[in-house]
Amino acid sequence: MSEKHFDVIIVGGGHAGTEAALASARMGCRTLLLSQNIETLGQMSCNPAIGGIGKSHLVKEIDALGGAMALAADQAGIHFRTLNARKGPAVRATRAQSDRALYKAAIRSVLENQQNLYIIQQSVEDLVVTGDRVEGVVTQMGLHFYASAVVLTVGTFLGGVIHVGMEKQQGGRAGDAPSNRLASRLRELPFNVGRLKTGTPPRIDGKTVDYSELQAQPGDEPRPVMSYLSTGEEHPQQVSCFITHTSEKTHDIIRAGLDRSPLYTGEIDGVGPRYCPSIEDKVVRFADRSSHQIFIEPEGLKTHEIYPNGISTSLPYDVQLALVRSIKGFENAHITRPGYAIEYDFFEPRDLQSSLQTRHLAGLYFAGQINGTTGYEEAAAQGLLAGINAARQVQELTPWCPDRSEAYIGVLVDDLITLGTKEPYRMFTSRAEYRLVLRQDNADRRLTEQGHSMGLVDDRRWRLFSEKLSGIETLSEKLSKHWVQPGDDRVEAFTGKQLSREYNLLELLKRPEVEIKALLAALDMDNNNVAESEQVEIDVKYAGYIVRQQQEIDRVKSQQDLSIPSDLDYVAVAGLSNEVSQKLCAVRPETIGQAARISGVTPAAVSLLLIYLKRHKASAALKSA
Amino acid sequence: MYEKDTITALATPLGKGGIGVVRVSGPLVELVAKEMVGELPKSRVAAYRNFLDAQGTVIDQGLVLYFKAPNSFTGEDVLELQGHGGPVVMNLVVARVLELGARLAKPGEFSERAFLNDKMDLSQAEAIADLIDSASSQAAKSALRSLQGEFSKKVNSIIKGLIELRVYVEASIDFPEEEIDFLDNPKIGEDLDTLVEKIDQLIEQAGQGALLREGVSIVLAGRPNAGKSSLMNCLTGQDTSIVTEIAGTTRDVVNELIHLEGVPVRLIDTAGLRKGNNPVEIEGVRRAEKEIALADYVLVVVDLNAHRLDLTAHIDELLATLPKVENYIVALNKADLWQPEHVSEKQVLVSAKTGKGVDDLRALIAEGIGLRVSSEGTFIARARHLDALQRGIQSLVRGQALFGNNTAGELLAEELRSCQQALGEITGEFTSDDLLGTIFASFCIGK
Repeated sequence: MSEKHFDVIIVGGGHAGTEAALASARMGCRTLLLSQNIETLGQMSCNPAIGGIGKSHLVKEIDALGGAMALAADQAGIHFRTLNARKGPAVRATRAQSDRALYKAAIRSVLENQQNLYIIQQSVEDLVVTGDRVEGVVTQMGLHFYASAVVLTVGTFLGGVIHVGMEKQQGGRAGDAPSNRLASRLRELPFNVGRLKTGTPPRIDGKTVDYSELQAQPGDEPRPVMSYLSTGEEHPQQVSCFITHTSEKTHDIIRAGLDRSPLYTGEIDGVGPRYCPSIEDKVVRFADRSSHQIFIEPEGLKTHEIYPNGISTSLPYDVQLALVRSIKGFENAHITRPGYAIEYDFFEPRDLQSSLQTRHLAGLYFAGQINGTTGYEEAAAQGLLAGINAARQVQELTPWCPDRSEAYIGVLVDDLITLGTKEPYRMFTSRAEYRLVLRQDNADRRLTEQGHSMGLVDDRRWRLFSEKLSGIETLSEKLSKHWVQPGDDRVEAFTGKQLSREYNLLELLKRPEVEIKALLAALDMDNNNVAESEQVEIDVKYAGYIVRQQQEIDRVKSQQDLSIPSDLDYVAVAGLSNEVSQKLCAVRPETIGQAARISGVTPAAVSLLLIYLKRHKASAALKSA
Repeated sequence: MYEKDTITALATPLGKGGIGVVRVSGPLVELVAKEMVGELPKSRVAAYRNFLDAQGTVIDQGLVLYFKAPNSFTGEDVLELQGHGGPVVMNLVVARVLELGARLAKPGEFSERAFLNDKMDLSQAEAIADLIDSASSQAAKSALRSLQGEFSKKVNSIIKGLIELRVYVEASIDFPEEEIDFLDNPKIGEDLDTLVEKIDQLIEQAGQGALLREGVSIVLAGRPNAGKSSLMNCLTGQDTSIVTEIAGTTRDVVNELIHLEGVPVRLIDTAGLRKGNNPVEIEGVRRAEKEIALADYVLVVVDLNAHRLDLTAHIDELLATLPKVENYIVALNKADLWQPEHVSEKQVLVSAKTGKGVDDLRALIAEGIGLRVSSEGTFIARARHLDALQRGIQSLVRGQALFGNNTAGELLAEELRSCQQALGEITGEFTSDDLLGTIFASFCIGK
């Protein structure tokens, strides 16, 4: 087969690009992955951690669909914690500190061993466009590659500018060149471009840190895992994280350096994330706080470098050094890499369809930071989706996008394409209105079957998943048939009082004070499979809430299923105000449900749309008849 | 069809004397019929029945009519309860239907469903669109008016309290490492209790009817000394059914409640409209203009005697100042002193001094209102708001029960979210992005 022709081309080998490439190749498409530098495939450009609240939900969904991120995090994870352990299963999350080198190696190995996937080290400088279709890419050496679907996952590399103090230079990440040719080429196409900003803290040589002064935070035991396939045995050696704090002295140093901060002197136009502010931002905006927490993350097992999370900064190097040394434990710290802020181009995500295909150029897909998001997990989730839909386009299948009620991936994409974003978009559980059904413990039950039918899930995963499902069924049937009588003190030890009648065990589990593990143990019904018994327990305990959310989902679903033609002339819809029709024009919602979620679109406007569509459809039917 | 909700609304204008019709459409019709009149009547046959509340007490008596789908106005199962009218009784009937699981219809929604279910000709699409458009803007206006004064203060303080609670709970869920934890904070439980108490009080007060009986509003507008105040005294003074006297919110706007042919009417006297330099007067005019913008009806008062020569021009000038208001009547006052030869359709000759023509004025207003209240007035707007509060408090009460059980953090959060969703119908949507924005403004988040 020609070395120039592929089914799908992925540009960029970060977290979005690798998932996109793997998904497309797994689905049987001849896939080309183009990366500026093969050595940086799977690189963690920011802090060395995967997961966290809302984010591990995404990672588990990627895993349920056969993606690589969770397995790599398990192979590279040197410290695992469960967050929100006691606030309930839906908001429970897993975070894995990773050894950067091990993570990269794990991803590289998956990529290299993936059938149908070809990797070439080339920087993409242009797109081959015919009419309103993309047909391929051109690299810096002038090589032409052709495919009917191209996925751009270029991260912060488009027009990237790095700031340290008043110094600025072009760059896509410290040490890597930006993609300026591609950026200026894309600016010629009809996309709406904006600027965003993000930043990192200075990295520190751990040999110069006085750990005796710091509070250690060990990982959890037993160790949580990211992937449904992992057991914990794939984890390497585990280490601790540490916590320290800034002081008033730190804040004084920062205030004195603000006149040389690119953030405060107007050098940076891009909007940064509110939930991940730089230390200078925190000091200015929360001036009454005398101290801010710093979370010290190990960079890996074979390096002394550490990542002090919480002091992201673009202040000049001398100020960075002084502020670091004013922190407890860092008195003699040596900075190995200065912190910096980076500004980059992103494209208005409201110009995307739910497949992540751009509305302006057919066959072109965007995923990751280019769409205004931040975070490895958000990028990987989009990459996976874009890869799936690029492959489905090649296979002439309809696009696939999970609904808001099915997956955080659906929430992420719907938020982006419906509401757009003004700051780097990060996932939070509070963004999901169906939070109680979108748990990290049931991502496989929500998605693996769909993944399997799309060709994303391999035999091993499918077998394990099928076994789990039948295990859940068997257990809950067993519990429903096991009856206990009043006076059974093995059971009444939990309930605290005598049972009023005969109960089966499933009924008993509805009570908040009865836990499945203890109940099974007390009745000598040992069940070793925690994942299965956990599902049975949550299904029973949350049944009322899940039913309620399901009713809400069904109500919205009927609207979600009503599609709107992509070329609808909103100006012609009688009664719509100018403001509303402009908003609808900007987003071009795919369904009535999506239209209703656009801010400013009132229920009355939705009614007017429904009436218009009905008339439209009826007159179209008349014409064709 | 796409809608699964059962909807209900008053299908007739509110009034004390006539018949009031409550219409119900959707899958719950059978349940509503069985609960309220004991059985589902035969389709299309009128039956005389007692309308019962949840305790089985008779709310009203009247005719009940059942139309089986698809042979009904909306194409769905429809039930019509025809009672004796009167705002309080009809409200009780609607409240019972809501209690049984229906929701209040959106403006124009019965017609919308009729259209979407092929019960109307395609050529009527424009007309339905117009109806929805005008009914919705009228409803929005009424909702705004319902949210004035004491009611609004209380609603706003409830919403504010709810947002504070949610910010705290959601921040400790999404940012567990920022040293915020509501599960360990007894203040959250106390705040929850306070909130439930506040909503309870508000519902109780409103349930007594004082807030619901505000009725239709009519603003008296005109130049200073046109005789607005004396006309107002005329209208209220001669009417024996004054029920309350609400103190004016400002020195210049005076409120009084009267009943006009059974319809509660709030008369609002305003400062004279003229351009002055005195800051107090400017403020008075500003408030008058605001009242006029919100009013259901404007009674333009003209001093005939002062405008013998330029009457038509003067009236046109006054009408031009009305912001898009079509519902107006011109009272040609001081008719005892001088009368024009020609009086047009929306005008009436009256003398506040002698009382002559006041009955005609009343009749004209009542006629106008009769046309008007068929679309959504303050009464329904406030009923909507109370319905939202009812649903909100149910969530909070479940939340209270959950707070004691400290593994149920996410469930409490869910109850607070659904409470906010209900109250959002009053104050507009509060999105997850708004919530995150408030969190970032309140806590220093981020590593």
